[in-house]
Amino acid sequence: MPDRPAAPELIEAVFEFLSGELLPTLDDHRLKFRTLVAMNALGIARRELEAGEEGMGEDELRELARRIRAGDVDEGLPARLKEHVAEKLRVSNPAYLEKYE
Amino acid sequence: MNGPAPWAGELEARLGRRVEAMHLLPGGASKEAWAIETDEGGLLVRRALGGVIHEATLSLEHEFEVLQAAEEAGVRVPHPVAYLGELAGREAFAMEFVEGETIGRRIVRDPPAGLETQLADELAKIHAIPPERLPFLRSSDIVTRFEHELDSVGDPHPALEYGLWWLREHRPEPLPDVVAHGDFRLGNVVVSGRGLVCILDWEFAHLSDPREDVAWPLVRAWRFGVDERRLGGVGEVGPYLERYAELTGRSIPEEELYWWEVLGNVKWGVGCLTQCRRHLTGLDRSVEYAVLGRMAAEMEYELLDLIAHA
Repeated sequence: MPDRPAAPELIEAVFEFLSGELLPTLDDHRLKFRTLVAMNALGIARRELEAGEEGMGEDELRELARRIRAGDVDEGLPARLKEHVAEKLRVSNPAYLEKYE
Repeated sequence: MNGPAPWAGELEARLGRRVEAMHLLPGGASKEAWAIETDEGGLLVRRALGGVIHEATLSLEHEFEVLQAAEEAGVRVPHPVAYLGELAGREAFAMEFVEGETIGRRIVRDPPAGLETQLADELAKIHAIPPERLPFLRSSDIVTRFEHELDSVGDPHPALEYGLWWLREHRPEPLPDVVAHGDFRLGNVVVSGRGLVCILDWEFAHLSDPREDVAWPLVRAWRFGVDERRLGGVGEVGPYLERYAELTGRSIPEEELYWWEVLGNVKWGVGCLTQCRRHLTGLDRSVEYAVLGRMAAEMEYELLDLIAHA
């Protein structure tokens, strides 16, 4: 087991550095925007580490994609896909899902 | 990045103008854009970066011709100044620099009155450009096109596959092809306090069913967070369609745009994935492109939601 800080804590430390120390010093719009994007990327990475492995694995996804392409679509599919995509969004952009509630 | 690019002298020689200042603008996806002050007014130089978002991207030479054809047809565009050929090894052209706002998030905060109908005015003029003026523009089966683009990404995306399946199962009767802008939405429209100034970014122009362009600004991602205003976060769809029908004679019921809105979500979802590959393949390393790979799920969820309410 590695010493602390753990990976999510390291990510958080970099996030805090970018938001608290770097961002306020930036005047250039492009750099500001890219720093915000970088902070967003760190948030995604942190949530992914905290969530751990969930949902369908790559092989299962590949098989499902292949079946749909071949026209093999059943009634339960939309609900299954919605859960799969919601899982991805809980990592990439949890706030986005709130719009659908 | 500020200060002169290594090709500033070449540009001066080509145009016979003196470059006084230049800076790189944010947000160029497949091409860089430079704002350049010269002794004869402001220019914007578009220069190739190497990669493309969609496979059907025009060369800068063709994009420049489309811009000229649009200007001839009375579309509000920045005046095309010169096609420059290669500028330090990369294709480029110069057009007039236009002042105004292009950032979607800022425009939707307080959109100028009448923007809905002004968008319809410009789109009607674009769709009236004679296709024979631009013989290099191509038409393609749009569902097949995005299938191929998704295949080029490599990783499995069953929700996008489901969107493609649904689109194949519910194909509408096609309308005759027109010259389409290909990326007609906020972000590619210059807006001032008085309203629409001009239409930018013609690199995705092609021939298509006019409803592809008409529905594109309705896609949720292009409402920039103001979801209740279905037309690009700036207005209602009704007046936009009415004005478009008045000018083109094409009366498109709002419900007919539904299929195209699902298509638009597939298109931008796949676009996010292909742009992300620019980063992953090392073609164009950038944190912005990287994060787009994780944004595709937003379009996936939206298309599942749209289809569920079909």
